[in-house]
Amino acid sequence: MNLAPNLGTAEPGTPATTSLVSAVNLAKQFHGRKVLDGVDFDVAAGEVSVIIGKSGSGKSTLLRVIAGLEDPEEGDVTIDGVLVRSGGARTADWNHGAAKVGMVFQSYNLWPHMNVLDNLILAPRKILGLSAGEAEARAEKALAEVGMAEHIRSRSTQLSGGERQRVAIARALMMRPQVLLCDEITSALDPPVAAEVLGVLARLKQEEGLAVVLVTHDMAFASKAADRVIFFSNGRIAVDATPDEAFHHCENAELKAFVDAVRID
Amino acid sequence: MSEQDFDWGAVANAWPHLLSGLGVTLQIAAITIVLSMILAVPVAVARMSAIEIVRWVAQLYIEIFRCTPMLVQLFWIYYALPALTGITIPGFASAVIALTANLTAFMAEAYRSGFQAVPVEQIEAGKMLRLSRFQQLRHIIVPQALRQQIPVILSLNISMFKDTALVSTIAVHDLMFQANTAATETYRSLEFFTTAAAVYFCIAFPVSLLTSYFERRGQLARTGRAPIIKPRKPELTGVKP
Repeated sequence: MNLAPNLGTAEPGTPATTSLVSAVNLAKQFHGRKVLDGVDFDVAAGEVSVIIGKSGSGKSTLLRVIAGLEDPEEGDVTIDGVLVRSGGARTADWNHGAAKVGMVFQSYNLWPHMNVLDNLILAPRKILGLSAGEAEARAEKALAEVGMAEHIRSRSTQLSGGERQRVAIARALMMRPQVLLCDEITSALDPPVAAEVLGVLARLKQEEGLAVVLVTHDMAFASKAADRVIFFSNGRIAVDATPDEAFHHCENAELKAFVDAVRID
Repeated sequence: MSEQDFDWGAVANAWPHLLSGLGVTLQIAAITIVLSMILAVPVAVARMSAIEIVRWVAQLYIEIFRCTPMLVQLFWIYYALPALTGITIPGFASAVIALTANLTAFMAEAYRSGFQAVPVEQIEAGKMLRLSRFQQLRHIIVPQALRQQIPVILSLNISMFKDTALVSTIAVHDLMFQANTAATETYRSLEFFTTAAAVYFCIAFPVSLLTSYFERRGQLARTGRAPIIKPRKPELTGVKP
C-alpha cells in the first residue's frame, strides 16, 4: 500500500512502460486555488481504477485533464507510449492519445435532437469514415454490450436516466477507446440503476479488456470491482491502494473518515 | 366624420399591378430571409469568438444595424454608397442588401442566444468523440439552436416582411409602391392602403400563428406546461422593437 502523498511512478518524465496512460507532475489552478498539485497517475490496460475524495479535491479535474477538456499549467501525459502533453501543453501527437481515450459524463450528454442510433454513429461516420452500414452494425454491437439493443431507434429523451447513461457508455465505446474515463456517472441515478450501470463497466473490463477510471462515491462497486482505489485530497493523491487495503487496513485518517461518512450516507 | 364612398372597383382595376408588386415584395423577402439565415451563422460564431478583434468586428456590425433606422440604412446603401464608391446599385439590389444586412444582424443575435443555450457538456461530449469545431456546430449546436430559436426567427422574419414596404421609397416597385402609385392616380387612398394592409396581414398573420404554436410547443417540451403569455422583451430575444 502506498500512503505517500502522491503515487510514485518512476522519476518524473519517465512513465512506467506497462502504463496505458501515465500522467506526471500535473498541476492545475482555478482562480489561484491549486486543484491538481503535482499529481502523478497511471492506468494499466484492463485495469479498473476508482477515484474517491471530497468534492473539489481534484478528482474530476484529473479526468478532464487526461481527456483534454482542461489544460494543466504543468505536467506530462503519455498515452500508449506516446507523449501527448509536455510541460502542460499538447504535443503534435495529441490526436494519437485522444483516439485512445473515451469519456462518460454525469449528465449523460446525449444529443437530444437525435435518436440513439444517430447519437452513436455520428462520430464514427465523420471521424473514422465508416459507412452507414458499418457504423450501424457497430452501434448494434455496442448497444448489445450495454443491454440497450432494443432502444436503437428510441429518442434519447424517451429513456430513463440509467438507460441514457448506458447509451452514453455505448457511444463512447463506438470509437473503440482503450481507456474509459467516467466522471460521477452514477451520482444522478438511483442505487439499483447505478449498480446496473457499474455492472456494465465491470463486464466491459472483463470481456473487452477496457481500462476504466471511475470517479464515484459507490464504495460497494469500488470494493468489489476495482483493482485500485485512489483517494484524492487537496489536489494530491493521498492513498493509492487495493480496495482491501484502502477500506480495511488503511491508516490514513482522512480516508477512514471519508469512507465512514459515505457508508453512513 | 366625413362621409366616404368606397370605390373598390378602382382596386379591382389596379389588381394586376398590386399582384406584380406583391411578387416583388415576396421576392425581396424570400431572398433576404434565405441569405440572412445563412450569413447570420458566421456572424454569430464570430460574435462568440475567442479572438477579441473578431468578436469586436462582429459586435460592431451588429450594433450598427441594430441601432440605426432601417430607412437610413436603405437610403445609405441606395444613395450614399454610390457616392462613396462610384458604383450605382439598382433599387432592387440595394433593397436586398440593406434588408439582408439588417436582418442578419438581428438573426445573428438570435442564433448566438440559441448557441449559448446548448449545454457546454453536450459540446464536450462532441469533443471527446473528436468532432471538429465545425462538426460540433453543424451537428450538435446549430440544429438545437435553430429549433429553440424558431419562434424568434419567425418573429424577425415577420418584422422584416413588413419592413419591405420601406423599399418603395427607393422606387422599387413592390406592393407598397404599387398601392401608393394607384392611390395617387385615383385619389382612393383609403381603398388602396386598406387593401395593401390586408395583403400584408394575410401573409404575416399565419406566420404569427405559427410562431405562437412553436412557442407553445417549445415550452411544453421544456417544462411540460403551457406558457404563461407575457409581452416579450425585445432586448432579451433579439426581436426588433
